[in-house]
Amino acid sequence: MTELRLRSAIAAFAVAGLGVAAYLTHAHYAGGPLFCATGGCETVQHSRYAVVAGIPVAVLGLLGYVAFLGTTWRGQTAALAGVCVAVVAVIFSTYLLLAQLFLIHAICQWCVASDAIVTILAVLTAWRFVVARRSA
Amino acid sequence: MATTSTIQAPRRFTPARALVLGTLLAVIVAGIAIGVSVAGSSSSSSSTALAGAEQTSLMLQGIPQHGNVLGRPGAPVKLVEYGDLQCPICRAFALDTLPTIIRQYVRTGEVQIAFRGISFIGSDSEKALRAVVAAGAQNRAWNLIDLFYVNQGRENSGWVTDSLIRAAAGHVDGIDVSALFSARSSAATDKLMRGYAADAQRDMGGQIRTPTFLVGRAGQPLHLLQIASLDVGQFAPAFDQLLGR
Repeated sequence: MTELRLRSAIAAFAVAGLGVAAYLTHAHYAGGPLFCATGGCETVQHSRYAVVAGIPVAVLGLLGYVAFLGTTWRGQTAALAGVCVAVVAVIFSTYLLLAQLFLIHAICQWCVASDAIVTILAVLTAWRFVVARRSA
Repeated sequence: MATTSTIQAPRRFTPARALVLGTLLAVIVAGIAIGVSVAGSSSSSSSTALAGAEQTSLMLQGIPQHGNVLGRPGAPVKLVEYGDLQCPICRAFALDTLPTIIRQYVRTGEVQIAFRGISFIGSDSEKALRAVVAAGAQNRAWNLIDLFYVNQGRENSGWVTDSLIRAAAGHVDGIDVSALFSARSSAATDKLMRGYAADAQRDMGGQIRTPTFLVGRAGQPLHLLQIASLDVGQFAPAFDQLLGR
């Protein structure tokens, strides 16, 4: 796969992640009910783990996906930045998933969807870094 | 005389090095974020941390409770919930539907909700219900109901321990934990539990299912609310109709 295609795929998944994060951010501030098939979204969204230093995790998600989008420029530096963003995102998403499973005892489908998107983005950014390095 | 083979090339900032440094930096950033999150969650919890304590407190804060009833005593519409504290569907209702009903109808003073606990699943149901009824004597039943649902364990696995009850009660402002423990086996608690069981038999015609809901104008006969799911949309039309909207 070419770097251009990989960058396009990264952008597409980042936009999908932005959608999820935007929905959760809206729900956080509007206070409306969440569509939830797993039955634990409200619990997770109202848990103490849903806010970090006063910032809702959903907003951090928005910033993270914007950062992913920002790394879709051409070049090795952008590719490296993408890997760094992915590492932060994967570690923090894993922490939040473990918090859902073992501390909150509830699963939010939107958070799981975001975790899946982050995982895909991590694979794509790593792949892109390798491709960008080869073509440099 | 120096040869090219002895001249060392300057150390360059190679992509591999950049990757290692970038990854290290990213790990540090993620570590800081997790550290802040953990520190924040620890500082907002008491020594006996309990899932959902803060959420429950926020949800119920400022709403009148009287015995097993949540909401303004003069609220024109009454919803009765028959629930077993070990019932997973009751838990789903408590976690996903109830917060919206409380926000949209109870907090506004339009609807009051009465919890009639039944304990047909087993011993943990009864133990939890006794604590809830005892908390009701201090007008704090709904705090315990919600905390039991949030922390619900596997059916009859012994998850309703004294330490869980103590931890739950410890997160309820203004509750007398010792009085709650004593009231669990009081004659008044026994009587209320027998009353709920008899009400359930009467209202469900001997076929006990939870959650079961009754709705109607307060002070008038209530009718069984037929619901296809636990979505708020299953409850709102009945409330709105009774409120004359």
